[in-house]
Amino acid sequence: MTKATRPILLGIALSCLAAISTAQAKDQLILAIGGEPEQGFDPLLGWGQYGNPLFQSTLLSRGQDFTPQPELATKWSLSEDRLTWTLTLRGDARFADGTPVTADDVAYTFNTAAKAGGRADLSALAEATAIDEQTVTLRLHAPRITFIDQLLTLGIVPHAERENGYSEQYGRHPLGSGPYQLVEWQEGEQLIVERNPYFYGPTPDFERLVFLFTGEDATLSAAHAGQVDIAAIPPALAANVTTSMQRVIMESVDNRGILFPMQPDNGEHAASEAPIGNDVTADPAIRQAINLAVDRDTLVEVALHGFGRPAFGPADGLPWSSDEERIDAPDLAQAKGLLDAAGWELHDDGLRYKEGLPARFRLTYPSSDTTRQLLAEVSAEMVRPLGIEMQPTGRHWDDIQRHALHQDAILFGFGSHSPQEVYYLFHSQHAGNGYYNSGFYTNSAVDTHLDAAQAAPSSEKANRHWQAAQWDGTTGYGLRGDASWAWLVNLEHVYFADTCLDVGELGVAPHGHGWPITANLLEWRWVCD
Amino acid sequence: MITPQPRLRAMLSLSITAVFIGGLIASQWLLTDSVQRMQFGARLAPPSLEHWLGTDALGRELWARTLAGLALSFWVGCLAALLSTLIALSLAALATLSARLDALVSLLIDTLLSVPHLILLMLIAFALGGGTQAVIIAVAVTHWPSLARVLRAELWQLRQAPYVHISRALGKSRWFVLHGHLLPHLLPHCLVGALLLFPHAILHEAALTFLGFGLSPSQPAIGVLLAEAMRYLNGGYWWLGVFPGLGLLLMVLMFERLSSQLRRAL
Repeated sequence: MTKATRPILLGIALSCLAAISTAQAKDQLILAIGGEPEQGFDPLLGWGQYGNPLFQSTLLSRGQDFTPQPELATKWSLSEDRLTWTLTLRGDARFADGTPVTADDVAYTFNTAAKAGGRADLSALAEATAIDEQTVTLRLHAPRITFIDQLLTLGIVPHAERENGYSEQYGRHPLGSGPYQLVEWQEGEQLIVERNPYFYGPTPDFERLVFLFTGEDATLSAAHAGQVDIAAIPPALAANVTTSMQRVIMESVDNRGILFPMQPDNGEHAASEAPIGNDVTADPAIRQAINLAVDRDTLVEVALHGFGRPAFGPADGLPWSSDEERIDAPDLAQAKGLLDAAGWELHDDGLRYKEGLPARFRLTYPSSDTTRQLLAEVSAEMVRPLGIEMQPTGRHWDDIQRHALHQDAILFGFGSHSPQEVYYLFHSQHAGNGYYNSGFYTNSAVDTHLDAAQAAPSSEKANRHWQAAQWDGTTGYGLRGDASWAWLVNLEHVYFADTCLDVGELGVAPHGHGWPITANLLEWRWVCD
Repeated sequence: MITPQPRLRAMLSLSITAVFIGGLIASQWLLTDSVQRMQFGARLAPPSLEHWLGTDALGRELWARTLAGLALSFWVGCLAALLSTLIALSLAALATLSARLDALVSLLIDTLLSVPHLILLMLIAFALGGGTQAVIIAVAVTHWPSLARVLRAELWQLRQAPYVHISRALGKSRWFVLHGHLLPHLLPHCLVGALLLFPHAILHEAALTFLGFGLSPSQPAIGVLLAEAMRYLNGGYWWLGVFPGLGLLLMVLMFERLSSQLRRAL
């Protein structure tokens, strides 16, 4: 669906929905929170990778303090050798067609996801086996500390051999045991879901949810017109709230930063045929100078209107990130010193050159994202005094994948409740693997620390290795080491919600401004008559 | 009341437009990047003596952004109109070579005219991955049919002229006739046609960019400025949309007027 036709269709849809919602205000919510998944609602292909997949249940869920809580599984244990998980399922869980969820379904989900090549990393899984109707074991090749994240995030799908079982079309017609079931999905426009009558948990307050997939502009207009009940708003546009709406802020570990291509341009291409490498960003002095020059406090103020905080790493404030990894204030003098020492000479045109190579490169961002656009433009302005020209360039995601992913600096966003993401971002094994390590970062010492963290016997010991990967006194992926990223800000997710909508106590959101707010959907209440 | 001669009016229009365009181009040479620098302490400042047309969300002077946007639109419009005219002229010339080719060109013209402009523009720009080149190509390949139709009709008429018949009778080649006799007569039509195409081209460039299929949001194009203005309208920041919009309107009207005056004069 083109961006041009969306506002027209949105207008028609909203008119109809507004009429319906007037009569059934308590039963139906209209949400414009974006985040339409391209591959559909299939957990095996990545849907719900940060948890709370809406249509499906996970084995465990995350509490407010991030500790695992029972969900489909009521009991779970890990063997002494840390190679086998044993989980006992609850007896009252049913799919939306009324059939029970069994250990066979869980085993099928894990075994199939391991082969599916989706975003769920089950490379450590040797085999999932159903012991009886309600007991399943997950056997690993080697101990992996982050494996528990798959228990927290992977939605369980029905076995392919049962009626209404998993098929290639599952993403378009998902069947799960979560609180809601899909009624209709018009791609690029809207998604309508209704309560799953067989859901084992508390009955949600709202019978029907309508998710509108609109661009930022249309969402903002709809929110100002009071035609949606809750809308995700870019921080820079969140200053003015209409009287019928309230501003809802959700804390998050969602960050934004600049990923640098780490390899020089040797004329190589990735499997996707996208060119690899950038001679300017491959120089550590450039990357370190940019990190030193960026004023993150000002970025928060200007690009986020204060709805956020400075970022210095992929997991600031989380136990697997070091508190020492920070820059208290921008230091242009030190940055210039680094560039001078590395042979980058400042010329009369205000640009630095090294052996004829200008310190100029594109800083690419998805053109539909206002926040990233602002961050890119302000960052570029901040490094200009150094003699480095970052050229902010907005492109479609498709275009980024085809051309820019491995040769441009990219304004990316990540942020997870699990250190697994650190592994994806910085381990050489994931170099060139999708968006994660698209800069082809490789450092054997970092790989060693990351592998040691995965094999650690406890979270506490693993955290020490995760932190050492950031900086071990000699090297690391962080600011003091390879400076493979210039992390910029951590976002607060801003929503405009109807004043009658009580969204309860919100947790801490992972990456993805939108779906994470539905994590506590069961607590949402309509407080007006 | 004495009505000025068409040529005089055309000259007047041409002079005004030339001064406007000359000023626009000169401004981009003379003004340094500093006028578009961000002033974080003056974000979204309304028009005042200090900030003539106000500032945008990053504290950049709107007058400088509008001038840069108009200059960008001018170049994009120029190239697109030129390319479009060349396509129209080439196809019109091709149509005169044989009846089959004429039927083919006519079919192409009718087909393109039957497809809504904007949809085709968006499809082509999207397929080419956006950016300045994509916009120029998209605008150029969608705007030639009307002009091609006019030029083709004119060429068919010229082919019946006695001097063309004499030239052919003397054994001159088709190419010589086309190049030596027909094309020189078409140049005034091409000039007016290109000028008429220009306002369309820049309006469509702005529309395409406004809809997100055109230039990068980081380029100070008029379409980008108008799209940004839309986001901030709810906050009452009217100047973000009014001044770039007026600038675009002024430029379009100026070229519209110039082309109509030239058409009368020629």
